[in-house]
Amino acid sequence: MGLKDILTGRHEVKGPAPDRLFAISTAYISLQAEHQISPAGKAAIVFQALQTSEFEGVIKEMEEVVVATGGESGTQVHTEDDSFGYRWMVLSGSSIEDLAVGVNAVSGSIETAGHGERLLCAVFAFKDAHGHAVYFIYNYKRGYWYPFVPAAGGGTNERSTERELQLKAQMADELPLEPELERWFPLWGIPI
Amino acid sequence: MTKRHSSFGKDGGLQARMLLTMFLLGLVYVVFVGVLFAVGAAAGVIIVIALFMLAMQFFASDKIALSTLGAKEVTPEEQPELHGIVERLCVQADLPKPRVCVMQTSMPNAFAMGRSQKKATVCATTGILQMLDTAELEGVMAHELTHVINRDVMVMTMASFFATLAALIAQFALFFGGGFGGGYGRSSEEEEDVMIVLLVSVLVYAISFLLLQALSRYREFAADRGSAVLTGRPSALASALIKISGTMERIPSQDMRTAEGMSAFFIIPARTKKSLMNIFSDHPPLEKRLDALSRLETQLQSAA
Repeated sequence: MGLKDILTGRHEVKGPAPDRLFAISTAYISLQAEHQISPAGKAAIVFQALQTSEFEGVIKEMEEVVVATGGESGTQVHTEDDSFGYRWMVLSGSSIEDLAVGVNAVSGSIETAGHGERLLCAVFAFKDAHGHAVYFIYNYKRGYWYPFVPAAGGGTNERSTERELQLKAQMADELPLEPELERWFPLWGIPI
Repeated sequence: MTKRHSSFGKDGGLQARMLLTMFLLGLVYVVFVGVLFAVGAAAGVIIVIALFMLAMQFFASDKIALSTLGAKEVTPEEQPELHGIVERLCVQADLPKPRVCVMQTSMPNAFAMGRSQKKATVCATTGILQMLDTAELEGVMAHELTHVINRDVMVMTMASFFATLAALIAQFALFFGGGFGGGYGRSSEEEEDVMIVLLVSVLVYAISFLLLQALSRYREFAADRGSAVLTGRPSALASALIKISGTMERIPSQDMRTAEGMSAFFIIPARTKKSLMNIFSDHPPLEKRLDALSRLETQLQSAA
């Protein structure tokens, strides 16, 4: 942000960073083989839904596109709004590659419609050997991934930082991970 | 990018007015410093003192203000909703997460502090947390975060430096200088100099005060706009402002029939006067903020 922007108080919302979403479609192989963390068959893309008829139209179209392209592995789509007013478009299907393609198709059409800055993140759900949920979150603004592991005890809003840091060490070569730990924002009540 | 994007949130007039205000402020300050040096008052010493005060204000004011206001930092466990809102907005704005504080008071208000993005603090009162729903609270927090993004604390501190200096000098001069009818072996020429410095200081203070108020109002408009762009929901912020201002009768929520019966018992309709707008006169009037937000909503809706 330049001096002129500071003086005039102008600030634009950043659009998405260069896309590193597809890193997950290779990284999951070593997650599965070496660390016994297998895909839970679900992924979601989270964005601010503008309350305009044009934006609703874009979303409708996207759902149809995802269902049409995910034909072979049978990707299913449904949307829900969380308590913060963000919209979750949840994709379910057995293949991580197909889910990544689907998520990318959704973010792509949001960007083409000129709403790229509304994208918050994409979430891919995994399960470890004990059946506990492990999430990998992709931050569109930063173009980085980070792990998010809610604490196994089921305590409200507690995360297992130790597990996340282990995953950071394990996956550093496979995924472009967010280097600033203070940007590993939690997402509570993930619906996938 | 589509056409909609080049138009949503544009407000060229605001930018121009802001720059003009800063230019005028700078002009007043240049003249002020010129006069100080011309008169040869112990200008150097005074400026050093003022610089020291500025540095104090710059580095410590947020801590002092927060502790005097009784704001307490809250953990995500204590305030999951507030933290959740701030975190998501930080992702959207690509901003490091500020400290989140809550102030125990029923008065609905919120503010941001800190000289840089890394040292920022946002604070909300318990009153505002109870009053607003999630979307409205998000609008208010986005407004405060835009202050952080725009570095408004720094800009206003810098801009008010010479105004503070002028106020200082005016006080000094009044105290030691004019009004005591000479004495203390001071020549009449020195007397005159003190009077000039006093007059100029008072004048500079008065003019820069008005300009600073104007600048502050423009920064508020810019923060409203930033909030609308960040959340994509200008009307949520507008709704929050209406609620906070306590002028809910703009859009009455009470059934017309019950309201009709009750109003006979009140001489003045009960409403809270204390609000985000009224405490600080450096905030623009509610009407104008609502107008600006409704223009943004129109731009958004007329997309395609």
